Amino acid sequence: MPEKPTDLVQGTLEMLVLKTLALEPMHGYGIALRLEQVSDGAFRVNPGSLLPALSRMERDGSIQAEWRATENNRRAKYYILTPQGRKALKTETAAWGRQIAAINRILEA
Amino acid sequence: MFNHLKSGLRALLHRNRRNADIEEELQGFREAAVQEKLRRGIPPHEALRQAIAETGPAESVRAQVWNAGWESTAESLFRDLLYSLRRLARTPGLVLVVVLSIGLGIAANATIFSIVSKILLRPAPVGDPHTLTTVYLDDDTGGCCNSLSMPSYQDLRDHARSFSGISAYVDLLPASIGGTGEPERIWGQAATTNFFDVTQLSLPLGRGFSPAEDTSPVIVLGYALWQHRFAADKAILGKTILLSGHPYTVIGVAPRSFRGIDLLLDPQFWVPLGDLPQLATNPPDPSRRDWHYLRSAARLQPGVTQSQASAELHVLATDFARQYPATDKGHGFRLMPGGSIGPRDKRSIELFLASLSVVVLLVLSIACANVANLMLAQGARRQREMAVRVALGATRAQLMRQLLLESLTLALAGGAVGVLLSVAATSALSSFRLPVPIPMDLSVDLDWRTLLYSLALSLVAGFLCGIVPAWSASRPHMPNALKGEDANTRPGRRFKLRDLLVVAQISLSLILLCAASLFLRSLQRAAQIDPGFRSTGILILAIDPQVHGYTPARTARFLATLRDRVLQLPGVLSATTTDGVPLSMGHRSDGFSVPGQPSQQEPPSVELYMASPGYFETLGIPRLSGRDFTPQDTAPTITDPKSKSKAPIAAVVNEEFVRRLFPHQNPIGQRVNGAGTPYDIIGVVKDTKSRTIGENQRPVLYRALAQTIPADPSGDGYQIMIRYEADPTSLTTLVRSTIRDLDPTLAIFNIQTIEQHLKDALFLPRLVGTLFTVFAAIGLALATIGLYGVMSYSVSQRTKEIGIRMALGARIESVQHLLLTEGMRLALASIAIGLPLALAASKLATTMLYGVHPYDAITFTLVPILLTAVSLLACYLPSRRASRIDPMISLRADG
Repeated sequence: MPEKPTDLVQGTLEMLVLKTLALEPMHGYGIALRLEQVSDGAFRVNPGSLLPALSRMERDGSIQAEWRATENNRRAKYYILTPQGRKALKTETAAWGRQIAAINRILEA
Repeated sequence: MFNHLKSGLRALLHRNRRNADIEEELQGFREAAVQEKLRRGIPPHEALRQAIAETGPAESVRAQVWNAGWESTAESLFRDLLYSLRRLARTPGLVLVVVLSIGLGIAANATIFSIVSKILLRPAPVGDPHTLTTVYLDDDTGGCCNSLSMPSYQDLRDHARSFSGISAYVDLLPASIGGTGEPERIWGQAATTNFFDVTQLSLPLGRGFSPAEDTSPVIVLGYALWQHRFAADKAILGKTILLSGHPYTVIGVAPRSFRGIDLLLDPQFWVPLGDLPQLATNPPDPSRRDWHYLRSAARLQPGVTQSQASAELHVLATDFARQYPATDKGHGFRLMPGGSIGPRDKRSIELFLASLSVVVLLVLSIACANVANLMLAQGARRQREMAVRVALGATRAQLMRQLLLESLTLALAGGAVGVLLSVAATSALSSFRLPVPIPMDLSVDLDWRTLLYSLALSLVAGFLCGIVPAWSASRPHMPNALKGEDANTRPGRRFKLRDLLVVAQISLSLILLCAASLFLRSLQRAAQIDPGFRSTGILILAIDPQVHGYTPARTARFLATLRDRVLQLPGVLSATTTDGVPLSMGHRSDGFSVPGQPSQQEPPSVELYMASPGYFETLGIPRLSGRDFTPQDTAPTITDPKSKSKAPIAAVVNEEFVRRLFPHQNPIGQRVNGAGTPYDIIGVVKDTKSRTIGENQRPVLYRALAQTIPADPSGDGYQIMIRYEADPTSLTTLVRSTIRDLDPTLAIFNIQTIEQHLKDALFLPRLVGTLFTVFAAIGLALATIGLYGVMSYSVSQRTKEIGIRMALGARIESVQHLLLTEGMRLALASIAIGLPLALAASKLATTMLYGVHPYDAITFTLVPILLTAVSLLACYLPSRRASRIDPMISLRADG
């Protein structure tokens, strides 16, 4: 392993999942892989935290799940962003931006 | 929210499918990870190893996914619940005692709370009850809560800006309803035409009054009247009915829940206020500012608070006092929430209900102590189970959750039993009647507030009963427990929790028993108080000819004829007519003075009863001097119609009257003045009780009925009182048909015997006595069970010790003595603690006791003796069992 992956800030996983799904529907591993790649390996998400989060978000109504066939013809559960999820992403991103800005201001003060 | 519930339930119902889904998804995840690693050139064996390491064990992923929702917590709770139920099913006796204990406690609380809910909590049955208020008049003597006069109502209506509307009404107007069927006596209200708009009532049928209908013959029927008199006829609208002999057009039916704004009253119709002159016997003069007869309903303007409105009313009152100093000087207005209990009685009723609530909470505490005790003993029997579970890795919290769940289950079952019992109790309570001639709505029932309260109380009770036993049972002293020895007693502890609980129980029930005994003795005393008149063999029927269009003079003639006819009936010994039965909680009274004598500072208020010949004979009131009324006292007494002075009325007075107005003089032949009317005293009779059985003696003046009616008729009808020697039921039929022969349109009402009336007159002592007896009986039973339980548990725990004592030569009697002493020490300690508390409590109840001293010697001797005797029995039974212990067996038994 090249370097130790960083722990995700509490509560950000769901926002990152929403962002990932905003591009296209994906299955669980696809989400994990994309998070890892885009973050240059900084975030590694294991199914023990990803699957419960997905289950929670599905119940909240921000994503929908659907069994589909994969490229190599296996069955996989694909997750799709709902309009409600899209809205949640927007508000969470905005809130996150404000928080980051505030934290930066404190750190730079 | 709903989504969570739905998918959680689906997950629970199809758990295998959900697990398979998770499994498959995880499998897919793993395979995709392997593929990815292979693509990156990692050798297959290594790729698989890494993928498995990254994804983690399937079992824990599954658990994590399940834990993300609410259903796994629910499921484990449910599993605990099932376990609890299985456990409880194994001890049906215990469950029965516990559920009954809590059930009785909850029943007592639910019943009292249903009264609290009705009187203090329930908002008026009008639209938007929170902005409806009532304006009362405070007069200059500091007296509160008078009604308004017509002019001051009009001034308020025209000037007060805090209200969007003010309606005024006469709260009780007697009437008769005729037409098809038996004529019937009913009571209703006469209200300004905006009444239904201000109260924002939506009528289920028809409409309220229109502004132009102030003097129109239109009527809104009460729901109950519409149901029973008109068979809920939907086509009633527009039909004409006869109200007190006048044709009235039905324009609406009031909602079922609406019985007027005033709490406890039960009016059955509404007519416009302008109709009052033709419907009322003594119509009040609407132009006078000093004639207070109107209640009010005032709707607050949106955004105006009650205190803002009060402030405005204060300013207006000051203005009115300046404008009309003769009538309004010193007057103020008082604003109360609409439909609340009048401020005059508010404090005493609140105090009464608060003390009852405390008492029933005591009953529930006794029940809880009892249950806690039983659960402690039960917990002691389960020590080994608990120890094994702890040893197997159960946490303390898990054990406590399990045990609390058990007690909550029991408490909820108890609550359900309690609510059922309380249904019976409230319907029994609803049968209590006040001895008044007006319609009252005293029914109590279980509303949603009471149910909610019972539920909350059951949960609290379950938690309180459960927490201590759960705490101690979930903390077994491991070395002892695994060996099968007592694990809940730790070395060096002096008091046992169970003993404390029993002491608390017995002390509390001592307080309840003393209170019950005091109230029962008070009831007995009250029932023994001599009202001064005959208490058996009198039949009373009421009629109100004036609401059937009779003039006062014709009414007087009718009553005389009726009395003559009734006297001819078989089984009638004597009969008389009057305008009010004594002990009806209140009657007409006037201030009296003697002409020529310096008038007293405060003219004595004298109770006035109309009486016709035969009155004293019928009621059995002995005459002390002078003469009785004769038929000659009917002679027209108007000497000079032009002169303003009224003709004197023949009057008989009681001893108290003589004591107050003619001390050491002969009153016969003297003239007295009452509210402008002269009376000539013709006789003196012995004292009788006038309003209530417990009152101090009041002065009473009986005035000749036939002379009084023409000038001062009764506003709410007349009674004929008949002393009989036969069966009252058949006599009632005979009297009814006699009245019907004279005039078939007359409504006959308030038919009762004097026995029934006196029973109702003892309303308060009977109610309080009954309640306390029931509560104390429950308390005593629970405390006895508690003591018995502790003693038998103690015996079962000490089998080995007793065996050793007996093996060493202790005699059966001495073993029994040992145990008895131990139990009785608890009982006597409780009595020593409870007695001073009971004495203090009874001091508080002084105002509710009739003729019994709060430190009543009989009560405070008998109750401790009774309690000692019962305790002795509760200890004797287990001790006898101990004495039967066979040392050979008990010494070999292992625990």
